[in-house]
Amino acid sequence: MKTNRFVWMLVSLLTVSATLLAACAPAATPTSAPATEAPAIATEAPTEAPTETPEPVTIQYWHTHSDPETAQLDQVIAAFEAANPGIQVETSRYAYNDYKTALLTAISSGSVPDVARLDIAWVSEFADQDALVQLDGNLPDFDNIIKDTFPGPLSTNYWNGHYYGLPLDTNTQVLLWNKDIFEAAGISAPPATMEEFAAVACTINRSAAETRYGYAQGGTYFWAPAPIFYAMGGKVTDEEITTATGYVNGPESVAAFTMLKDLYDQSCMSPNLLGGGIATDAGHAEGTYAMIIDGPWMVDIYKNNYPDFEVNFAPIPTGPDGTTSSVVGGEDVVILEGTANQEAAMKWAAYLLTPEAQKMMAAVGQMPTLASLAGDPAMPPYFAVFQEQLKTAQARVPHPKWSDMDNAINNAYQRMLNGDQTPQEALDQAAEEINALLQ
Amino acid sequence: MHTKRRYSDLIPALIFLLPGLVLFALFFLGPMLYSLRISFFDWKIVHPDQSVFVGFRNYQRALSDSIFQRAILNTFAYTVITVAAKMILGLGVALLLNQRMPGRTFLRVAYYLPVITSWVIVSLLFEYMFNGQAGLVNYVLKDILRLIPKDVLWFADPILTLVPIILLDIWKGIGWAAIIFLAGLQAIPAELFEAARVDGANSAAQLRYITWPLLGPTTVFLVVVLVIGGLNAYVPFQLMTNGGDPMDLTHSVLTLMYEATFGRIDFGYGAAISYLLTVFVFIVSLIELRLMRQQAV
Repeated sequence: MKTNRFVWMLVSLLTVSATLLAACAPAATPTSAPATEAPAIATEAPTEAPTETPEPVTIQYWHTHSDPETAQLDQVIAAFEAANPGIQVETSRYAYNDYKTALLTAISSGSVPDVARLDIAWVSEFADQDALVQLDGNLPDFDNIIKDTFPGPLSTNYWNGHYYGLPLDTNTQVLLWNKDIFEAAGISAPPATMEEFAAVACTINRSAAETRYGYAQGGTYFWAPAPIFYAMGGKVTDEEITTATGYVNGPESVAAFTMLKDLYDQSCMSPNLLGGGIATDAGHAEGTYAMIIDGPWMVDIYKNNYPDFEVNFAPIPTGPDGTTSSVVGGEDVVILEGTANQEAAMKWAAYLLTPEAQKMMAAVGQMPTLASLAGDPAMPPYFAVFQEQLKTAQARVPHPKWSDMDNAINNAYQRMLNGDQTPQEALDQAAEEINALLQ
Repeated sequence: MHTKRRYSDLIPALIFLLPGLVLFALFFLGPMLYSLRISFFDWKIVHPDQSVFVGFRNYQRALSDSIFQRAILNTFAYTVITVAAKMILGLGVALLLNQRMPGRTFLRVAYYLPVITSWVIVSLLFEYMFNGQAGLVNYVLKDILRLIPKDVLWFADPILTLVPIILLDIWKGIGWAAIIFLAGLQAIPAELFEAARVDGANSAAQLRYITWPLLGPTTVFLVVVLVIGGLNAYVPFQLMTNGGDPMDLTHSVLTLMYEATFGRIDFGYGAAISYLLTVFVFIVSLIELRLMRQQAV
């Protein structure tokens, strides 16, 4: 009896120890934190065997590139590693919707990537959390590098007196007009001024038999009305970002939103922007929306989904004072605090801003941030209208609380479209909410 | 002699339980307690040691926030409607599937299939079906049945948005409730029904005096579990409302928590919201169990 019980205890102890030890097998040092609901697709860059190196250093680069962009990125990495034996770059690719969560999880757990490609709107937010390395004064040759970059994209890296990233790629939005619909309505050219724009949107609508809209926006988030807003002279805050009163609810801003509301009320603008309607890209190609405002990625999207559709770009129509403008988008490259390989990380980040790297990524639709490359024959031809627009495009407010400000304007836009408030009242409320965030 | 045997019998059992308990402590208990700690701070993710202790301020902020209150209302309404529908329809389906009929097994599988579909895929599917300008539902309602004059913009309205979300959950959950009810039904001895028939009871009376009381424990289990699931709704809300559109009026408690934590990097606030939900679920479950116990007696 006693032996039996003893044997049982021994067996159970051995089984449990074996299970526990097997689970503890490869005791890695900094292991990446398990992503919550984010399926991370980690890709390994083709690495070149380092020849004679003191210690080969591997840096982690996180991004959200599409398939063709990732393939081209591998070429850029190969070129970098050839020029920098001893540094290897490993990439992790994320879906855009999961990216911020993955980054925050990594930051909270302390195991951060060395370099990351960040949406320009997030740089000040992450910098405010002390998650990014200050680059001015730390990155070798920083002042020379930024001398050649466009001012709009560069400004998205500036927070609290310092720069926390380098502008990696940029884009803006321009007018897309469906030539077939225009010609069927007897219009030969895209509108050049905002007045023409509003008139054309309504003319096209009334001339069609089936449901058709002259203009459609993707949603009510600020990025959607921003080009028209900026072209008509609207501003969200003052230069020093201290107040929104008199700016987001100033006369130009109100005029811009009033024009959009009128288009909506007269059914010249599609109601899809309130949610749950036909998407702008599909609607534009299929003839439901005569005009939309969107970015350079539309070329690849239409090539894949609507290969027979001919895309036509035009600059954003000019506002009352005769000038055009648009909104700046794009990505910056940042270095995360807590990286163990800061020197190698900085070399990689700087390399991404060389003309060679920028030209390689331009081939897959990534618009360079170097002013010297504007008009370069190596650029795809459709870049021309965007790079011209970039000269006047403006960045959104580079502030850590920008997403809350975006929300305030978003909600104001919804309220005025629903008729709950007039554009002036809605923007007055937005100004109050934004001021509270600027405290 | 007897007691001695009990204790030393326990030891192998405890040793076998040890790995499970360790994992539970490491991956559930530990993070839960750490998260509770975070909720009392203005949490800094890069330098947590610099986090500022704020006591109950995160909780107060949540309770006084109109967006949070709206999220509670949405979640509560969603839970009440879906649980009631799933219980009633589930019981109905179970009663039907309990009859002997050709194709019964196939039907049982068919009713259970929605349960195992992917939340993400069916959420997107319902989003397409309820599309305001080109969706199937509008087409049927407007062009075929002619019940509505104009397209309904489902996702543009803060209350109508809940309709596809609720319908999705009911469609997906009936099968699960039905299978559980079916198990409960099959545990009722057939002799009781025979005796009742002999005494002259019709189907309705049998349902009321035999089936329903004997399904008591099953019903209690289902209500508790379904309510907990309903209050924790996240995926359909997140996918179909993109986090509270329009105007933060269609949040569920968990989408709000997600937005606070990962959207606005306000970890303390998000943790406070999650614990308010935990307390709420706990209280609701206690009330349910108390009520059910009283009814059973």
